[in-house]
Amino acid sequence: MSDVRIGVYVCHCGKNIGGVINPAKVAEHAGKLPNVVISRDYVYMCSSPGQLLIEEDIKKYNLNRVIVAACSPRMHEPTFQGVLKRAGLNPWLLQMVNVREHDTWVHENVPEKAEEKAKDLVAAAVARAAHLYEINTVRAPVVKSAVVIGGGIAGIRASLDLANAGIKVYLIEKKQSIGGKMAQLDKTFPTLDCSQCILTPLMVDVSRHPNIEIYAYSEVVDVSGSAGDFKVKVRLKPTYVDWSKCTGCGACVEKCPGRAPKEFDEGLGVRKAIYFEFPQAVPRRPVIDTEHCLWFTKGICKVCEKVCPVGAIDYKQVERYVELNVGAIVVAIGYELYDLSKLSEYGYGKFKNVISGLQLERLSSADGPTRGKILRPSDGKEPKTVGIVLCAGSRDENHVKYCCRFGCAAAIKHVYYIKHALPDAKVLVFYTDVRAFGKGYEEFYQKFRSEENVFFIRGRPAEIFEGRDGSLIFDVYDSNTNQLINVRADLVVLEGAVVPPKDWEPLRRILKVSCDPGGFALELHPKLRPFETTSDGIFLAGAIQGPKDIPDTVAHAAAAAASAIGFLAKGYVESVPYLAVVNEDLCSGCSLCVPICPYGAISVSEKEGKRVAKVDVIKCKGCGACAATCPSGAMQQNYFTDKQVLSEVVVLAGGAK
Amino acid sequence: MSKFLLFLGCTIPTKQYSYEISVRNVLPKLGVELVDFPESGCCGFPLKGLNKKAWIYMSARLLSLASKKGLPILALCNGCDTSLRKIKDLLMHDKDLREEMAKLLSNEGVKLDINAKVYHTLEVLHDFVGVERIKSLVQRPLKGIKVASYPGCHMLRPSDIPRPEDPVEPRKYDSVIKALGAEVGYYPDKGGCCGATLLPYSAKHALLIVASKLKTIKEYGFSAVSTSCPYCMEMIDAKQDAARSEVGDEDISIPVFYLTQLVGIAMGLKPKELGLNLNVSPVEGVLDRLGVSLYE
Amino acid sequence: MDSRILNEVRELVKPHSPQYCYQCAKCTSACTATKVIPEYKPHLIVALTRLGSVKGLMESGIIWACTECWKCSEYCPQDVAPVEVVIALKNLSIAMGYKPPEDLKVMAKNVVELGYVSPPIEVLSKEFEMYGREALSLPELVKPYVSEGTPTNLKKLLGGVYE
Repeated sequence: MSDVRIGVYVCHCGKNIGGVINPAKVAEHAGKLPNVVISRDYVYMCSSPGQLLIEEDIKKYNLNRVIVAACSPRMHEPTFQGVLKRAGLNPWLLQMVNVREHDTWVHENVPEKAEEKAKDLVAAAVARAAHLYEINTVRAPVVKSAVVIGGGIAGIRASLDLANAGIKVYLIEKKQSIGGKMAQLDKTFPTLDCSQCILTPLMVDVSRHPNIEIYAYSEVVDVSGSAGDFKVKVRLKPTYVDWSKCTGCGACVEKCPGRAPKEFDEGLGVRKAIYFEFPQAVPRRPVIDTEHCLWFTKGICKVCEKVCPVGAIDYKQVERYVELNVGAIVVAIGYELYDLSKLSEYGYGKFKNVISGLQLERLSSADGPTRGKILRPSDGKEPKTVGIVLCAGSRDENHVKYCCRFGCAAAIKHVYYIKHALPDAKVLVFYTDVRAFGKGYEEFYQKFRSEENVFFIRGRPAEIFEGRDGSLIFDVYDSNTNQLINVRADLVVLEGAVVPPKDWEPLRRILKVSCDPGGFALELHPKLRPFETTSDGIFLAGAIQGPKDIPDTVAHAAAAAASAIGFLAKGYVESVPYLAVVNEDLCSGCSLCVPICPYGAISVSEKEGKRVAKVDVIKCKGCGACAATCPSGAMQQNYFTDKQVLSEVVVLAGGAK
Repeated sequence: MSKFLLFLGCTIPTKQYSYEISVRNVLPKLGVELVDFPESGCCGFPLKGLNKKAWIYMSARLLSLASKKGLPILALCNGCDTSLRKIKDLLMHDKDLREEMAKLLSNEGVKLDINAKVYHTLEVLHDFVGVERIKSLVQRPLKGIKVASYPGCHMLRPSDIPRPEDPVEPRKYDSVIKALGAEVGYYPDKGGCCGATLLPYSAKHALLIVASKLKTIKEYGFSAVSTSCPYCMEMIDAKQDAARSEVGDEDISIPVFYLTQLVGIAMGLKPKELGLNLNVSPVEGVLDRLGVSLYE
Repeated sequence: MDSRILNEVRELVKPHSPQYCYQCAKCTSACTATKVIPEYKPHLIVALTRLGSVKGLMESGIIWACTECWKCSEYCPQDVAPVEVVIALKNLSIAMGYKPPEDLKVMAKNVVELGYVSPPIEVLSKEFEMYGREALSLPELVKPYVSEGTPTNLKKLLGGVYE
């Protein structure tokens, strides 16, 4: 290492560093260390003059290592790597020393000791720098196609955007039709346009798009490979109907004698045992529910088979699997409503006339169980007084801590449903805060709080009881008028909390995506990168990243698609610099590193008569688990080799003093 | 055979004798062995508003005395049960508080030990004896009697500590009543409060609470009420007349029984063995319907 | 307006978190006492505690109207436990020299001296006879304290209330 030539640059970061320690003293101390050719301090090393200073020194002093003692490498490592590149050096010959977050910010009360610590940290970096070497990354091509998981409005929008950009899209939907929660809504806030009217054309666009292939009634069961080259294994659940033969005529559904609660109507309606999810379903293909089908439960009937004009019924159908090779994955599986029966004080699930907001959507929908009439479930009578409870389970330490982000606007919309269908009805809205934050929402709130016989009451019911006639009796304290109001309502609507879907947790583990405290997918950055994940090539669209209303979901989905398009259009993925590297002479082929690798990047194979480990440079994400596990030291991680780390440790442990 | 320390608290051994009598006569017949706990006394619950530490200290003392005896506590009173369990939970999670209490207790030669288990009458009946066993011992089914269970606040709350009844879906109480052959049913605010704690501040308002409770229960077609808390009994049994005068002579009178009294009646015990002659509410009506004379 | 009272209350109601109250008033909707004594409002008591203006609550004695049914605490979405805030305020009011209801003082005195909130009484039976423990063949009620340490400790803890 005789020709190691180091330049050390100590930054003041204005007063952040310079206000606590004397950077000139640190630089002076560094100047005396071995291999250091030049050392300087400067007020803002990241500024143009600061960068120029280093660039000129590299040329003037023929430097081949650069140490910058400044802030966190998370902040400016790329900045100074750019300086090295411009000066003709490999960027990985830079060593940052964090004397701000690790020193002056935390030790400002003991400046002398902080200065000693800065000197030690710089000395350790000087020792380490001698062992730095050039690192070059490699590139691999990407497969220009994508899987979109979830066919709600987020998945629909993301699929269309990707497909329109010329990317082949496989849209995976767990139910038999795409459409998601939006298909269940009657109208959308704040414009009150019919939900199906704006959604179904998009569903048709998806089904007709030459670049989109829909896998309905299917689920992702495994993902292997890595960004740019994923292998996605999909399970096609048996529908007991050969969809390639079926024309969607509906004769089977019409004649089926089996009955079951209709999921699409949130349990309020009844469907057949062979059924379309809803009339506008895409694809319009039926599925047999084996739990309610007379053939599957009792071995009788077979009416559907008899009436099917194309012979599509297939009671022996089994599940199938396909493997899709794609460059990117967009997760758009949306949300689920919190189980409101857990709020036992409100009686949901116990009292028939306590319903969820989504159930009211179904009651209000023209294709719903009451053909759009708002009737109370217990006796089919028109309610005269309706209570709407906001934050049912949301913002609650015992249930769901966060805000559902659409309950307030939905409640205002629900006021409209009731007043529109039942002009004489009284509506009481129990709120804590009305969060009408979206475009046009405040105006929407203004309009409906002014309606006759609509009362916004600032209070929250605590216990709802059932009267003998099925009506609901409860007290609410109104903190605007300072009085306890005794309510007798015919119908109570709970605007419930929102949680990630139940099938998210297993999928999350397959995708290796982190989650936030609420269980939703964790974005790469909450503000700047809200639709990417910590796993390259996996993008988030819509409410799986956190509760969203439709406008925000669509914006998020479009942004996720744009981000995925950008990723795929770039055409290549690049290896990380901190790759694991095998010293094949030392490797004994023991294979301990293989299972420890979370990315499946290591394999062991025969090479010149002996077994050695091999690292897939694209899969490797540079976590270092293999290097730490390797018993012989054959596995080393770029930029964190044993020599580099230990030389630093020796100095910090006092060895060089 | 399950064995418990019989913890009477304050109200039961000084006033609500019928609870004590019925427990002493019924539980042993169900295979429950009761061991007297004469050094127990007040659990401290009524003192919490005056000084929370005094409350904690009194319950810590009881838990320690029981732990030394190595027997689980049977708390008859809802307040005692809550108090002991709440303090056990507090002490379990607060080292400083444990040290403070250990020091106080050392002044009277007691070593702090919060390990004693605590159970309420309802748990002994439902969880230890069991509904099936009770059913098998019924000689005089309470046929045609519709009984409103009145668990009382602290049988259900606070639910962040173990409660005798299921706080989310109360069902144990009713399943014991059903085992006796009686009917059960829903009425609003079944888990509601009797108002006893309001007495020192305003007896009038406490009585209004009693009146409204009994009115609802009558409206829902019940012929009797059952509780397992001496405070609730003191309010809804003994104060019916006083409550009626607060609401202008509305008929709110209804027989009220301790759960152990109902179990005893169904098992064929004599009314006096259950202290039924000490109930203030008109229990005779129900007894007549079962062909039992109060004075037999 | 300062957080001193809130901090003292927080210390007494651990592990609950009165500082997180967002005034939904669900507690007051649930409150047993509010239904008969409308001036008693747990959400307002918590709000006043947060502001530190609790003098009115102590002077009027309204905090003693709580029935301790624990519903407020049960249904509170932010784990505020208003009932325990009220208990803490009662304690603080006594420490500041305000008087509790007379009956409670009597109960405290009885607990110190007898071990029970009241002495055993004779009750009237349906046959119009007075019955005490002996007449009912119940074991004699003894003073439960085995050492003088118990009443001494209690007196110390109860301080002014007992005098």
